[in-house]
Amino acid sequence: MAPPLHHDDIFELVREPIDPRPLIQHVRAPEDGAIVTFDGFVRNQSHNRATLYLDYEAYESMALAKMREIGAQLHEKYGIHRVAILHRLGRLEIGETSVFIAVSAPHRAAAFDACRYAIDTLKRSVPIWKKEYFEDGAVWADGELPPAPVATRGAKPAS
Amino acid sequence: MPSVAQTVRVKVLFFGRLKDVVGQAEEYVDLADASTIEQLFARYSARIPELAKYRSSVVASRNQEFASWDTRLHSGDEVAFLPPVSGG
Repeated sequence: MAPPLHHDDIFELVREPIDPRPLIQHVRAPEDGAIVTFDGFVRNQSHNRATLYLDYEAYESMALAKMREIGAQLHEKYGIHRVAILHRLGRLEIGETSVFIAVSAPHRAAAFDACRYAIDTLKRSVPIWKKEYFEDGAVWADGELPPAPVATRGAKPAS
Repeated sequence: MPSVAQTVRVKVLFFGRLKDVVGQAEEYVDLADASTIEQLFARYSARIPELAKYRSSVVASRNQEFASWDTRLHSGDEVAFLPPVSGG
Protein backbone atom coordinates (compact mmCIF):
# COMPACT_ATOMS: atom_id res chain seq x y z
CA MET A 1 0.00 0.00 0.00
CA ALA A 2 1.35 3.41 -0.92
CA PRO A 3 2.06 5.65 2.06
CA PRO A 4 -0.29 8.59 2.49
CA LEU A 5 1.02 11.73 0.86
CA HIS A 6 -0.12 14.03 3.60
CA HIS A 7 0.48 13.26 7.25
CA ASP A 8 -0.79 16.51 8.80
CA ASP A 9 2.35 16.80 10.93
CA ILE A 10 3.49 20.02 12.61
CA PHE A 11 7.00 21.49 12.25
CA GLU A 12 7.52 24.98 13.61
CA LEU A 13 10.09 27.43 14.92
CA VAL A 14 8.41 29.76 17.38
CA ARG A 15 9.32 32.77 19.49
CA GLU A 16 6.52 32.46 22.04
CA PRO A 17 6.22 29.95 24.89
CA ILE A 18 5.30 26.45 23.71
CA ASP A 19 1.98 25.07 24.97
CA PRO A 20 2.16 21.28 24.66
CA ARG A 21 -1.54 20.57 25.10
CA PRO A 22 -2.83 21.45 21.60
CA LEU A 23 0.15 19.59 20.10
CA ILE A 24 -0.65 16.41 21.98
CA GLN A 25 -4.29 16.82 20.98
CA HIS A 26 -3.26 17.32 17.35
CA VAL A 27 -1.39 14.03 17.07
CA ARG A 28 -4.04 12.03 18.95
CA ALA A 29 -6.50 10.00 16.88
CA PRO A 30 -8.87 7.06 17.41
CA GLU A 31 -6.63 4.65 15.49
CA ASP A 32 -3.71 5.37 17.83
CA GLY A 33 -2.94 3.65 21.09
CA ALA A 34 0.07 5.62 22.30
CA ILE A 35 1.57 9.07 22.37
CA VAL A 36 5.13 9.72 23.54
CA THR A 37 6.25 13.29 24.14
CA PHE A 38 9.64 14.88 24.76
CA ASP A 39 9.82 18.19 26.61
CA GLY A 40 13.29 19.72 26.54
CA PHE A 41 13.59 22.74 28.85
CA VAL A 42 16.22 25.14 30.12
CA ARG A 43 18.40 23.78 32.94
CA ASN A 44 19.61 26.13 35.67
CA GLN A 45 23.27 25.20 35.29
CA SER A 46 25.83 24.17 32.71
CA HIS A 47 29.11 22.48 33.67
CA ASN A 48 28.46 23.58 37.28
CA ARG A 49 28.04 27.23 36.36
CA ALA A 50 24.71 28.86 37.18
CA THR A 51 22.88 29.71 33.96
CA LEU A 52 20.98 33.00 33.82
CA TYR A 53 19.18 32.36 30.53
CA LEU A 54 19.72 31.00 27.00
CA ASP A 55 19.42 32.60 23.61
CA TYR A 56 18.63 30.35 20.63
CA GLU A 57 19.17 31.16 16.98
CA ALA A 58 18.58 29.09 13.85
CA TYR A 59 19.24 28.95 10.15
CA GLU A 60 15.49 28.99 9.91
CA SER A 61 14.81 27.82 6.37
CA MET A 62 17.26 24.93 6.67
CA ALA A 63 16.21 24.05 10.22
CA LEU A 64 12.59 23.66 9.11
CA ALA A 65 13.65 21.57 6.13
CA LYS A 66 15.68 19.29 8.42
CA MET A 67 12.80 19.01 10.90
CA ARG A 68 10.51 17.94 8.05
CA GLU A 69 13.11 15.36 6.98
CA ILE A 70 13.11 13.93 10.50
CA GLY A 71 9.33 13.70 10.37
CA ALA A 72 9.44 11.83 7.07
CA GLN A 73 11.99 9.42 8.54
CA LEU A 74 9.72 8.72 11.51
CA HIS A 75 6.93 7.65 9.17
CA GLU A 76 9.29 5.51 7.09
CA LYS A 77 11.21 3.86 9.92
CA TYR A 78 8.60 3.50 12.63
CA GLY A 79 5.21 3.68 10.95
CA ILE A 80 4.01 6.39 13.29
CA HIS A 81 0.66 8.09 12.81
CA ARG A 82 1.55 11.74 13.32
CA VAL A 83 4.31 13.94 14.75
CA ALA A 84 4.68 17.49 16.03
CA ILE A 85 8.14 19.04 16.46
CA LEU A 86 8.48 22.60 17.73
CA HIS A 87 11.62 24.49 18.66
CA ARG A 88 11.61 27.88 20.30
CA LEU A 89 14.06 30.66 19.37
CA GLY A 90 15.19 33.81 21.13
CA ARG A 91 15.68 34.33 24.85
CA LEU A 92 14.49 31.51 27.13
CA GLU A 93 14.42 31.59 30.92
CA ILE A 94 15.20 28.71 33.27
CA GLY A 95 12.49 26.03 33.08
CA GLU A 96 11.02 27.17 29.78
CA THR A 97 10.52 24.60 27.04
CA SER A 98 13.00 24.93 24.17
CA VAL A 99 11.91 21.88 22.18
CA PHE A 100 8.75 19.82 22.25
CA ILE A 101 8.05 16.62 20.33
CA ALA A 102 4.86 14.56 20.31
CA VAL A 103 4.57 11.29 18.39
CA SER A 104 1.46 9.14 18.04
CA ALA A 105 1.37 5.53 16.89
CA PRO A 106 -0.87 2.50 17.17
CA HIS A 107 1.52 0.92 19.71
CA ARG A 108 3.92 2.23 22.34
CA ALA A 109 7.16 0.76 21.00
CA ALA A 110 7.02 2.73 17.77
CA ALA A 111 6.07 5.92 19.61
CA PHE A 112 8.93 5.58 22.12
CA ASP A 113 11.52 4.68 19.48
CA ALA A 114 10.41 7.41 17.08
CA CYS A 115 10.40 10.11 19.74
CA ARG A 116 13.90 9.14 20.86
CA TYR A 117 15.12 9.10 17.26
CA ALA A 118 13.55 12.52 16.64
CA ILE A 119 15.24 14.33 19.52
CA ASP A 120 18.60 12.61 18.98
CA THR A 121 18.58 13.46 15.28
CA LEU A 122 17.41 17.00 15.90
CA LYS A 123 20.28 17.64 18.31
CA ARG A 124 22.79 16.28 15.80
CA SER A 125 21.61 17.69 12.50
CA VAL A 126 19.22 20.63 12.77
CA PRO A 127 21.00 24.01 12.44
CA ILE A 128 20.05 25.62 15.74
CA TRP A 129 22.49 27.14 18.24
CA LYS A 130 22.23 28.25 21.83
CA LYS A 131 24.25 30.85 23.65
CA GLU A 132 24.48 30.38 27.40
CA TYR A 133 24.48 33.49 29.59
CA PHE A 134 26.18 33.41 32.99
CA GLU A 135 26.91 36.02 35.69
CA ASP A 136 30.35 36.59 34.21
CA GLY A 137 29.77 36.30 30.49
CA ALA A 138 28.27 34.25 27.69
CA VAL A 139 29.43 31.32 25.57
CA TRP A 140 28.11 29.42 22.57
CA ALA A 141 27.23 25.95 23.86
CA ASP A 142 29.38 23.01 22.77
CA GLY A 143 27.52 21.16 20.10
CA GLU A 144 27.69 18.35 17.61
CA LEU A 145 29.10 18.70 14.13
CA PRO A 146 26.40 17.49 11.75
CA PRO A 147 27.38 14.68 9.39
CA ALA A 148 28.04 16.17 5.97
CA PRO A 149 29.15 14.65 2.68
CA VAL A 150 32.93 14.37 2.46
CA ALA A 151 33.17 14.90 -1.28
CA THR A 152 30.80 15.39 -4.17
CA ARG A 153 30.29 12.11 -5.97
CA GLY A 154 32.71 11.66 -8.83
CA ALA A 155 34.21 15.10 -8.31
CA LYS A 156 37.81 15.80 -9.04
CA PRO A 157 39.67 17.64 -6.28
CA ALA A 158 39.52 21.39 -6.73
CA SER A 159 42.83 22.90 -7.74
CA MET B 1 35.61 29.31 -25.82
CA PRO B 2 35.91 32.15 -23.30
CA SER B 3 38.99 31.90 -21.15
CA VAL B 4 37.86 34.46 -18.59
CA ALA B 5 35.92 32.88 -15.73
CA GLN B 6 32.47 34.29 -15.39
CA THR B 7 31.77 36.07 -12.11
CA VAL B 8 28.70 35.02 -10.18
CA ARG B 9 27.04 36.33 -7.04
CA VAL B 10 26.30 34.06 -4.08
CA LYS B 11 24.78 34.70 -0.67
CA VAL B 12 26.97 33.74 2.29
CA LEU B 13 25.65 33.17 5.82
CA PHE B 14 27.48 32.72 9.12
CA PHE B 15 25.92 31.40 12.32
CA GLY B 16 26.75 31.05 16.00
CA ARG B 17 30.35 31.76 16.94
CA LEU B 18 31.33 32.08 13.28
CA LYS B 19 29.05 35.09 12.99
CA ASP B 20 30.89 36.64 15.94
CA VAL B 21 34.29 35.92 14.39
CA VAL B 22 33.38 37.27 10.96
CA GLY B 23 31.46 40.20 12.42
CA GLN B 24 28.42 39.81 10.22
CA ALA B 25 25.64 37.32 9.62
CA GLU B 26 25.30 37.52 5.85
CA GLU B 27 26.54 39.17 2.71
CA TYR B 28 26.56 38.77 -1.03
CA VAL B 29 29.92 38.05 -2.62
CA ASP B 30 31.08 37.91 -6.20
CA LEU B 31 33.34 35.05 -7.16
CA ALA B 32 34.41 33.07 -10.20
CA ASP B 33 31.74 30.68 -11.42
CA ALA B 34 32.34 27.11 -10.19
CA SER B 35 34.50 28.22 -7.27
CA THR B 36 34.35 25.69 -4.46
CA ILE B 37 33.01 26.19 -0.96
CA GLU B 38 36.58 25.55 0.26
CA GLN B 39 37.83 28.45 -1.85
CA LEU B 40 35.12 30.71 -0.52
CA PHE B 41 36.02 29.84 3.08
CA ALA B 42 39.71 30.38 2.31
CA ARG B 43 38.89 33.82 1.01
CA TYR B 44 37.28 34.72 4.34
CA SER B 45 40.15 33.14 6.27
CA ALA B 46 42.63 35.29 4.38
CA ARG B 47 40.70 38.35 5.45
CA ILE B 48 40.00 37.11 9.00
CA PRO B 49 42.90 34.84 10.07
CA GLU B 50 41.12 33.72 13.27
CA LEU B 51 38.49 32.03 11.13
CA ALA B 52 41.01 29.47 9.87
CA LYS B 53 41.13 27.92 13.37
CA TYR B 54 37.52 26.84 12.97
CA ARG B 55 37.90 25.09 9.62
CA SER B 56 37.89 21.57 11.10
CA SER B 57 34.81 22.26 13.20
CA VAL B 58 32.62 23.78 10.51
CA VAL B 59 30.22 22.16 8.12
CA ALA B 60 28.93 23.92 5.04
CA SER B 61 25.59 23.93 3.31
CA ARG B 62 24.53 24.91 -0.18
CA ASN B 63 20.90 25.84 -0.71
CA GLN B 64 19.87 24.44 2.69
CA GLU B 65 21.54 21.04 2.18
CA PHE B 66 24.76 19.92 3.85
CA ALA B 67 27.46 20.08 1.21
CA SER B 68 31.03 18.85 0.84
CA TRP B 69 33.86 21.36 0.68
CA ASP B 70 34.52 20.62 -2.99
CA THR B 71 30.99 21.63 -3.99
CA ARG B 72 31.10 24.14 -6.83
CA LEU B 73 29.09 27.32 -6.56
CA HIS B 74 26.94 28.98 -9.14
CA SER B 75 24.91 32.13 -9.50
CA GLY B 76 22.21 32.56 -6.89
CA ASP B 77 23.49 29.84 -4.56
CA GLU B 78 23.11 30.33 -0.82
CA VAL B 79 26.07 29.04 1.17
CA ALA B 80 26.14 28.82 4.95
CA PHE B 81 28.99 28.02 7.32
CA LEU B 82 27.67 26.17 10.36
CA PRO B 83 29.47 25.55 13.65
CA PRO B 84 28.56 22.47 15.74
CA VAL B 85 24.80 22.59 16.34
CA SER B 86 23.38 22.84 19.85
CA GLY B 87 19.62 22.89 19.57
CA GLY B 88 17.32 21.00 21.89
